[in-house]
Amino acid sequence: MSFLIKNGTQVRNIIFDFSRLRISPQIQQTRGRTNLNRPKLKNPSWFVKKERAGFQDYITPENQTFIQEVLHEQFGAPAIIKGVQSFQSHSLIKSDELEKHAWDPAFRRTGVLGRKIGQYPLWLKDGKRIDTTLLQVVDNHVIKYIPPEEFSPSIKPRINKLNKYGCLVVGSESVDPTSLTKDYCGLFRDSGVMPKKNLGRFIISPEAQLLPGTPLNVTHFKVGNYVDVRGKTVDYGFQGVCKRHGFKGMPASHGVTRTHRRPGNIGGGGEKARVWPGTKLPGHMGNRWRMNKGLKIWRMNTQYNVMWVSGHAIAGPTNGLVYIFDTILRLRRPGLSPPFPTSFEEENKESLPVDLYDDEVHRFEDSTIFFEPEKV
Amino acid sequence: MLRTSVATAFRSFHTTTPCQEIRKLARLRVVDNSEIGKRAMAEGKPPRCIHVYNKKGVGLIGDKVLVAIRGQMKKGILVGLKQDQKTKVPKFDSNNIVLIDDNGSPLGTRIHTPIPTILRTILKEKTIAKGADYTKVLAISSRFL
Amino acid sequence: MIISRLINKRICNATALQRAVSSTSSSQNAITSESPKHRRTSLVSPSYRFMYPEFLPDPKPEWRNLIREKLERKDMLARRSKIEMPSEFYVGSVLAVTSSDPHAAGKTSRFVGICIDRQGCGLRAKFILRNVIDHQGVEVLYDMYDPTLQKLEVLRLEKRLDDKLYYLRDCLPEFSTFDLNMEADILPEGSEVPINDTKAVLKPRPWLERWERQDLKGISNLEEFLTPKMVRQAKQRETPWEQYDLMKEYRRTIPAEEQSQIYSEVYSELHQFELARKKMKRKRNIPSKLA
Repeated sequence: MSFLIKNGTQVRNIIFDFSRLRISPQIQQTRGRTNLNRPKLKNPSWFVKKERAGFQDYITPENQTFIQEVLHEQFGAPAIIKGVQSFQSHSLIKSDELEKHAWDPAFRRTGVLGRKIGQYPLWLKDGKRIDTTLLQVVDNHVIKYIPPEEFSPSIKPRINKLNKYGCLVVGSESVDPTSLTKDYCGLFRDSGVMPKKNLGRFIISPEAQLLPGTPLNVTHFKVGNYVDVRGKTVDYGFQGVCKRHGFKGMPASHGVTRTHRRPGNIGGGGEKARVWPGTKLPGHMGNRWRMNKGLKIWRMNTQYNVMWVSGHAIAGPTNGLVYIFDTILRLRRPGLSPPFPTSFEEENKESLPVDLYDDEVHRFEDSTIFFEPEKV
Repeated sequence: MLRTSVATAFRSFHTTTPCQEIRKLARLRVVDNSEIGKRAMAEGKPPRCIHVYNKKGVGLIGDKVLVAIRGQMKKGILVGLKQDQKTKVPKFDSNNIVLIDDNGSPLGTRIHTPIPTILRTILKEKTIAKGADYTKVLAISSRFL
Repeated sequence: MIISRLINKRICNATALQRAVSSTSSSQNAITSESPKHRRTSLVSPSYRFMYPEFLPDPKPEWRNLIREKLERKDMLARRSKIEMPSEFYVGSVLAVTSSDPHAAGKTSRFVGICIDRQGCGLRAKFILRNVIDHQGVEVLYDMYDPTLQKLEVLRLEKRLDDKLYYLRDCLPEFSTFDLNMEADILPEGSEVPINDTKAVLKPRPWLERWERQDLKGISNLEEFLTPKMVRQAKQRETPWEQYDLMKEYRRTIPAEEQSQIYSEVYSELHQFELARKKMKRKRNIPSKLA
């Protein structure tokens, strides 16, 4: 029924048809905003139960070490890679090389999964202080590519001509598979990487597809380009109007009784004698996906896979998961080619500097800024 | 004893600290040597701001204000504020103004307190070509910080 | 198959962060758990905590991240290598800051004043200097790691009786007046930082804050302005038990083991800077003695 309501003319036609048939249809009236921003539960197709129930098996320590041995033989020994605990994984899948495409502004590249690790200021060469947030790309690997023909999510993302795009599943932060269910581990079987703690999907052009097992690093982006960062806001739970919407509340004294932090009046009388849709009321606050668009990358550290982006209001707590991808803002898209489909660090490992800076940023190891008088 | 005698000698003896925010009826301190300014401060009747010439109605550093001083209306420029400033911009213990006329030229010939260097940029931006020239205030200042 | 059937324990459910923490703390334990005879004496002086407080991160556990802290420390050391910065200064010390300003291009300006507060950690460290110039109280807030600062000098290294000297704003101006052309008093090497026990004289009310509620030791004449009501209310709000509150102390500070780990990481470079500074000082002092 709901799709009928969306399309007004269709509804009218149908009502007209129905009325001629002398059958009175019951169309339920929906008032106000139907797309309220409440946390939605939508499980993607690859969603399976992740964590195993912990139960006692009473196995001997020898057996345990044996299991670890088997594990490390298959996936590599534990190692800290770029500051993140991971495994010395080596891609198990040997498949044909993908065809290489030249970059085109119309192509959508994949994004990466990161963690917001904190914020601190940087200074520009003109002496201006900017606030930046540090995002770390944590042990990312491509898990799966779904071509456009097979990609049909249950809830369609709002993208024009979705049938032209495929989907890339990216995982971050390798974990020991012994804590996970068999079903969840099975998702990673064809990728040749250790099971990952987090999975995310990015809608990409088929030209930007990557082989499963490809590592994604911070050099996937370029310093000076703009990114969008999507994170889940801090969960505050059920909150009143003062905290949730910043209402002023009522005075502490002067005869006020028990209404210090209440909203007050929420509706009028007469014709409008009801609560209007969208009225700001108490309710659940936070725990929603929010996107910060068009953040500039000021600096990068290739040793720890960290990037410094502008702003200090990125959704989520410190150490929270974020999605980082090329900006959707048209005027801030890159003019020159970014690494396409991604940068393969192993090819140019030696020439890669540890720190990459934007031209405007003052490097801390540079000498002190002195303002020269303008020459007339 | 002394304090009470002071209190009775001047009718407008204030018992509040200077405002952190320059808005209407905020008391200011004239820091130039203009005759009217010196008289007003010596009498203990400091000027009051009766209008702030910006969109917000709250004066920031370098803003023009209209003040009521000794029964007259004069214009002034805020050259030092008590409220917290950005890094490297000095914050003063009082709210200082320099009295100017409509063309932006100061009424006095000397400013006897330090003024912040950021005023150089702010006043240059606010100066209108062939209109009021506020940078004349900078010329009579004795010390920059 | 074998794996899923046999294994029961969660071996790797910790995040990388927790792992890194545990690995570092275990290595720390390895050093401290040795018998006292063979314990390696740490090169890092315990006073580093007070000399370089900004190297310690914010103790709030949910804001911490070891990689961010490491990168921040690296940047701080990089900046310190480029600026003449004193190895230590405290609230109550008299400092001179030389900075360059886009509003006065081609020049540097020097401001002298008493440090009334130090705040922030990491690259966000700041301090406030206060002075009275031309009978006008002036305060300037500086970012410690601002690259436009040319030079930071300590003219008088000392501490005061209180941790924050905001009350100087309400005191007589002579207590915050310092000569702009003041010469630096150099303490003999190895001597302790003296505590200046001057007590400032407060002006009559109105005040900016309720100083009577703050347990301040550096004010001489607070009592003469207090009414019985103010005394009573100050008494009501006293929290003398807080000095025994171990949990509060724990939340306010970084644990000692982590502190020593952080300072041992930056020690060698900080020590190099100190040595270089001493060398410079000696060079400067010799010609003045001859003349």
